[in-house]
Formats: sequence, structure tokens, C-alpha cells
Amino acid sequence: MTAAAPEPKANMGKPLSRYDAVSKVTGRATYASDMPLANPAYAFLVTSAIAKGRVDGFDLDDARAVRGVIDIVTHENAPKLKESKLFSNGGYAGTTIQPLKSPDIAHDGQIIAVVIAESYEAAREAANRVKVRYTIAAPSATFDSPGTTTAAAKGQNAQFKEDPKVGDFAGAFEAAEIQLTASYDTPTQHHNPMELFTTSCAWIGDDLVIYEPSQYVYGLKNGVAEQLGIDAGKVRVVNPYVGGGFGSRGSMTPRTAIIAGIARRLNRPVKLVATRDQGFTITTYRAETRHEIKLGASRDGRLVALRHEGAELSSRADAYCVGGTKTTTRLYACPNVDSLVSIVRADRNTPGFMRSPPEVPYLFALESAMDELAVKLNMDPVELRRVNDTTNEPIGGKPYTSRSLMACFDEAAKAFGWAQRSPQPKSMAEGDWLIGYGCAATCYPTQMGPAAARVRLQRDGRTRVEIAGHEIGTGAYTVIAQTAAERLGVPLEKVAVFMGDSDLPPAPVAGGSNSTASTCSAVMMVCDQIRQRLFKAVMPDSLTDKAKETVGIGQAPTTQAAKSDRPLDLEKAFDTLGVGVVEEYGEWKPEGAPLDSFRAMHSGHVRLVGGHQMKDKIAYAFGAEFVEVRVNRFTHEIRCPRLVGAFAAGRIMNPRTARSQLMGGLIWGMSSALLEATEIDERNARYVNDNLADYLVPVNADVAGVEVILLSEQDDHINPAGAKGLGELANVGTNAAICNALYHATGQRIRKLPVRLENIEV
Amino acid sequence: MPDNSSSTPSGFDRRAFMAGAAGSALVPITARAAAPDPPAPAVQDPSAPVDVTLNVNGKERRLRIDARTTVLDALREHMGLTGSKKGCDHGQCGACTVLIGDRRVVSCLTLALAAEGQEITTIEGLATDDRLHPMQQAFVDNDAFQCGYCTPGQIMSAIACVKEGHAASEADIREYMSGNICRCAAYPNIVAAVKQAAPEILKG
Repeated sequence: MTAAAPEPKANMGKPLSRYDAVSKVTGRATYASDMPLANPAYAFLVTSAIAKGRVDGFDLDDARAVRGVIDIVTHENAPKLKESKLFSNGGYAGTTIQPLKSPDIAHDGQIIAVVIAESYEAAREAANRVKVRYTIAAPSATFDSPGTTTAAAKGQNAQFKEDPKVGDFAGAFEAAEIQLTASYDTPTQHHNPMELFTTSCAWIGDDLVIYEPSQYVYGLKNGVAEQLGIDAGKVRVVNPYVGGGFGSRGSMTPRTAIIAGIARRLNRPVKLVATRDQGFTITTYRAETRHEIKLGASRDGRLVALRHEGAELSSRADAYCVGGTKTTTRLYACPNVDSLVSIVRADRNTPGFMRSPPEVPYLFALESAMDELAVKLNMDPVELRRVNDTTNEPIGGKPYTSRSLMACFDEAAKAFGWAQRSPQPKSMAEGDWLIGYGCAATCYPTQMGPAAARVRLQRDGRTRVEIAGHEIGTGAYTVIAQTAAERLGVPLEKVAVFMGDSDLPPAPVAGGSNSTASTCSAVMMVCDQIRQRLFKAVMPDSLTDKAKETVGIGQAPTTQAAKSDRPLDLEKAFDTLGVGVVEEYGEWKPEGAPLDSFRAMHSGHVRLVGGHQMKDKIAYAFGAEFVEVRVNRFTHEIRCPRLVGAFAAGRIMNPRTARSQLMGGLIWGMSSALLEATEIDERNARYVNDNLADYLVPVNADVAGVEVILLSEQDDHINPAGAKGLGELANVGTNAAICNALYHATGQRIRKLPVRLENIEV
Repeated sequence: MPDNSSSTPSGFDRRAFMAGAAGSALVPITARAAAPDPPAPAVQDPSAPVDVTLNVNGKERRLRIDARTTVLDALREHMGLTGSKKGCDHGQCGACTVLIGDRRVVSCLTLALAAEGQEITTIEGLATDDRLHPMQQAFVDNDAFQCGYCTPGQIMSAIACVKEGHAASEADIREYMSGNICRCAAYPNIVAAVKQAAPEILKG
């Protein structure tokens, strides 16, 4: 076995190679823009060079003169589209700013024209020849820019229901033996998945096929239908593979309906491959945030008061926020808690979810503050977490369904060699390098959504599983195939999985780390329906119902009563029933799902439940992360030679894909601390480094030792699959762990991300 | 199929085109054995289609395309070879990496015209019918990808990395594989895959 395939522990599936591995290494995996189109026209976007104002007019003569130009679409001649509400207000859209509807410009890089031509090259050249006359207004770029407005999130964002509080924070903080107040900043970040934001639209009569990388094919299908004013049954979204999502493709962006409308008018397929820089402004991003944390503690380290105030940037049009106080107010035992989230509006494109939306910025603040408190208390930061560990969250007193936080700390600390740390800052060095060790907790809510699946079993054991899930790199094909094979007892190689197509039974958005729990629970349920229809009918009466449910095809029944029975002969079973194939469809919803869940599932509305929103319990996955940083005492260069994380997330369906995702997450976490930031020109409210050379993401040379430890954990209170999501677990807290390690290395506390060498003052 | 009887395969004058495109960041045209160029036409519309013959994965492909078409777009949009991916179109991410001869090249910054007469190898040209290339197998064994979008470029780059002699140590592999971004961050697994495949590739 390679390091990539860890030996499974209790309650873990097999570390099987990916279902789609061969497709992906041979180039046969087809992403949206790989789909063949018959005689496509090519679209190229023209985006605004100003952030606020209006288009006074275009000079298109030069552009139209380019050989092969078919049409240039502006607000003056754009297809008429209906509006869609923001996804969090019951719609589908990631922004309510609708380009090409009027000459108004609400943000930098807004789509203001689309050039259509016979070739990509001609469309690009013509787009560069479009001349635009603007009336320019002074934009507000970010926090502290003149003209921004600030208001509480509660009341303007339907998904932000409460500012969690309990007890008497003010009194308790005042009376606390130890007090800490500190402020933290996190930057604008862009997902930058490797696959560009592409859209191809082809009409076949009144039916529309859309090839687009999407994390939610049902949402996109219904949203585009709404904008075009056609029946959703006429729209099909297809993307069997998605070249990375990270949240950027979870909600509908304006480009899709625009391209669909143009393709309808041209009566010809249209293909758009938006450029990398356009991707910074035509989709969403992680907005910058600010935090103030107040911690009051007794001398033994017990928290007596905690307050977390967060401010997040959003657009003028939309009150998007991530509101991470729902997590940070519940992570540790504390009787007196207060919180407030505000939204600051500026002339920017609307932000959206990016990998671990609330937890990445909000735990940076809390887990940095916990380290600062440990320093004040002269206490080991691991022990501070232990003192404040809890079985029940403090706001509503609900029990965690399972919580292995301290087990993760202990395992990771051992693997990391935390005991070798000398606690004093600047006390460890090697040559010119100051060495720092730091740690932080991570957690992520366990979420599930309603999902449906269709499973077909043939007499030779071949199985076909259909579910409109999404393969964004998580291993979704693999764990669904494993689930069906295990549940039906058929060999894995006989299972075929079909996903990424809105004509298949609906699954939730591939976001909020819900996919494995939701899709596998649905597939398990439908496989059980097949058992009920087929297996029970041909099993000997002497078998108990339980035994009938657990026996697989070609397996000997395992109960005592059935020991003498021969394994089930599938062909015989089919003959007995007199059927050719057995096919079942079923709809699964998690406990506590709202009454309209199944209707919403078909109409592309997300109904995730879990986390702190469960009735009598709270469900989170936990982990602990330890990092080593090295800071050159002369050049201030920062390196991160070791990242060690231990994680517990219920049943691990496949230790190989789980480890890979967590490993990638740790590297994402390092990146969010040391590399990633979208720089904003504050005069013009424009993104400056909108390309992969200037927007720093990790490359291979940035990454050295990464160790992922999977803890065995069983949780029977979350979903039938017993799985907690882990795709967004590992990149939480890493940013704090790195700053905590930098403090240990240098004695300098850095509260603003990212940390670059110019921020080090040793 | 266009008639390709002129003395240059494309019938297109590269020198005139390059002069017209001065200032663009284009890769230099490598020398190649060919008949002497015919006299340059006085004026040539750079947007006029040209005939290009590309040798891809051992097969000759004749295309009539826009002269500005990159190797990447020629493969993807005109030849149905979509394994090579577009991640930035600026030579910044490496997803479009192919081999031209033995060199790894970002095909998004290489004009199809400039690659005429040279051997292009793409991800589709590695596996034989029943057997993956050792680097492909190593990527499978080491789970060296997640979403898979950068993978064709990573594998092409990795093969060249080994043949260049830059796979002797993990540090070397990390350095010489840093032109290929993997946003899922499968990097440690990519290093393990290159290490695994290197001896077999060097053995030939």
C-alpha cells in the first residue's frame, strides 16, 4: 500500500482506487468545455473597466470589422431575461446584479458586452476592439472606504437568523480574572478552480442543453429556466466532471442565461470560455472580514465570557454573509456568550461561499485568540482547549452527537512531537532559521440534504446507479460506487455510477460538505428497496428480516439460522421473480428536514439541515492541526515544512479519497495564511492581481511534509451513512495555527492575513 | 481536406505573421527542416484561415484554422483532443502542457503554426490499448489528483521532468513540477507518483 491508501481503522471503508482514476489520467474524463458541439459560435465577454457608473455608449465599428464576427450583444440588444432572487432568499442566483439589463455598472469587471464570432480568436480580437464610453462615479472599494454602509446581518440576510448569545457576557467579562481583547482581519480571496468558468449552450428545438461546471445542476437548471421564462423540464445541465469547485460553482451566475439567450437567438450552439481574470468578477469570492474577540477566563483557563463580533463585506445589491459566529460561539464551554455580525456594503461584485465559508475567517479569529489567551495564562494551548472542551454546546445546551476534538489534539500532538516544543517564543532555532510550533482546533458542521437515486440491478449483477451528484474532486463517484457495491453485495467493478446531469434524480448542491452523507444515504436506501423487492422474495422463510437485509448477492447468509443455506443465486432469484431487471427509485431526506424538502429538491432549492440547526442535538466534525514554521532571521522568508492534522468525521467511506481531501485542505489552510489575497485598488475598487501568476496559490515547491491522521469515530445520530462531511474540515484553523507558530518563532503576534515576509519584524 | 501541395505545409508566411504580431508574447519558432520559404506575399490578413498540418500522437492532422490558433485550441477545438486543458491561457498554470519533441511546452502559448513539422504528444498519446503509461499508473496508485483537471498537464510535465533528470530527489521533483498548479493541492501525492514512475521511465 502506498501512503495514499491508509490502512482502514474501525468504521472505515476500503481505501480503493478512484472509480474515475483511469479516465482522469488518460484525458478521457470530459469536463464541460470538452463536450463536442455541432458548429459552435464562440463568445467572448467584454467586462467593465470601471466599478461604478454607467455605459454612455459603445463604438463597435472596429470590432464588427473583424472577420468572422457574428454579433455583438450589449444592454441595447441583449435577450430579455427575468430576474432571479439570491439563493439565500429563495432564488438560484449568486448575485442579483443582472448585467446587460441596463447601462448601469455596479462593480468592476461586470459583463457589459458579449462578442459572438465564428472562432475563438476572432471573438477575442473583436472584444478587444470594443470601445466603451463611461460616466464614472467614485466607487467604495472595501472597509473604511468613503461611502460604505454598515448594518447588522440579522434582518437583511434570510439565512442569518440569530446572533447567538447566552448568559451575561458584559458582567462576566468585567469580572473575569483574565481578559483578552484582540482584532483580526482576513483578506479577499478567490477560489480559482483550475477549470475556467465556461458555459456552452445548445438548443434542440425548445430544449436547452447546458454544459457548464456546476456544483448544483438542479439549481442551475431551474434558475436558467426561470430567467428564460421556460419550463424547467426543457433545460438539462450536464457536467460529468467538474474541474474544481470550492464553492465558486454552487449558485447560478448571470453568464449562463445570457449565453443561453444568445444561442436561442442565433439558433446555433454558443461556447463561452471566460478568461481567468474575468473569473474574478463574473462569479463570487470570499469577502474580506474583520473580527473583534473578547475572552474572559479564570486563572485555571476556564472561559467565563466570550464575545465575537464580525464584519463582512458585500455588494450594494446583496446582503451576503457567512456568519461564522454560529460556530465560534459553540465550540468551547462558556456560560456567557455574546456575538454580532455586520455587513458592510461596497461597490463590489457579490461574494459567496468559498471552501469552509464561515469557519475559515471566524476560526482564524477565535483560534488565534485562544492562543493569545494561553500565552496570558502561561498555559499549554492544547491544555487550554482541554479545559474548555465540552459535550454540550453552550448556547442551547444541546449535546454534540459525537466530539473527538481532544482525541484529535492528542493524536496529532504525538505525531507532531509537540512535547519537544519549548514554550518560550524565539527559543527554538536552527542556523539562520527561527522555528515555531503552533496548533489550532478545526471543526465543521455535519450537514445533509434531501437526495434521490435510481438503482438498476441486472441478473448478471451489473448495477447502474443514477444520481445528479457532482464529482468536483471529492471522490463522489468512488464512494457512491462503494456504497452500492457494499449494500447490494455485488463486485465493485460491476457498478456503474452516473452523475452530473440534471436529468438524473436530484441531489443537493455539492457544498457545505454534505454530498457524501446525502448521496450515500439515498443510494443506501434505494439499494435496500431492491433488497425488499428481490431478496426477501427468494430468501428462505427461516431467515430473519435482519439477515435478509444484510445478506448480499453471492454471499452466504451470516446468521446462525441460515448457515446451511447456499449463497443467493441471483439468476435464480430473477427467474423466480420472473423479471429481467430490478430498478428502484427513492427519495431520502434527513431527520428534521423541512416539510417542503422533496418539492424543493426537484425545484433546485437547497434544504440542508445539520450543524447547530438540529432539534435536540448538534453535529460537527472535529480535528486538530499542528504546524511548524521557519522564519529566516535575516530575509524574513517564511517556510512551512510540516503540517500535521488529525481528524474525526464519523464513518470514513474511503480512507484514500478522505486523506487526499484533508491533505489538500491542510495545504489550502497554509495558503490562506501565507499566500492568498486578492489585492484591491482602493481608488477604483478593482482587483489588481487577477491571474494565477499574481494571485498566489501554492505550487509543489511550497509544500513539504503533510501528514493526515484519520481517527476512528462512530456516530449513529447523524445519517444512515454515518458520515460527517470532511471536504471543508482541514482548511479551517490552519491559518490560526500558522500565526500561532509564527508568534512562537518570532514573538510577534500577527492578526492580519496573509502573512508575508514584509510583515515580519524580528 | 485542403490541397496541401504548396512548398510550406501551411502556405502561410510565418515571418510576415510574426512581424505583424510583434510585441505579443509568443514562443520563438524553433528551426525545422523544410524547403526554402516562397516569396512573402505583400499583405496578408492575419485573420484569414491557414492550412496547418500537425503531427499529434504519431498521426498527421490537416487543419484549416485561424492563424492565431494556439496548439491548445487546435487540439481542443479543431481535433477533438480535449485531454489538454485550458486553465489560464497565459502559461501560468501548466494544465495545457504537452510534449513537443521531448520538451514540455505550455500549448496555450504555442501557436499551432509554430508547431508544424514537430512531434506533439498529448495525454491521449501515452497509453497503449491495454496498458497505462508508467506515469499514468503511478498517478493512479498514489491518488495524485482530485478533480483531475490539471492532471493531463501534470503527467506530461512529470514525464519530461524525469527525462530531464530532475527527479533525483523529492526536492528536485517539487521544484521542477512547480510550473503545474494543482488547486486541489495533491502535491505530496504527485511527488510520490513521480518518484514511483521515474526508474521505469529512465529504464526505457
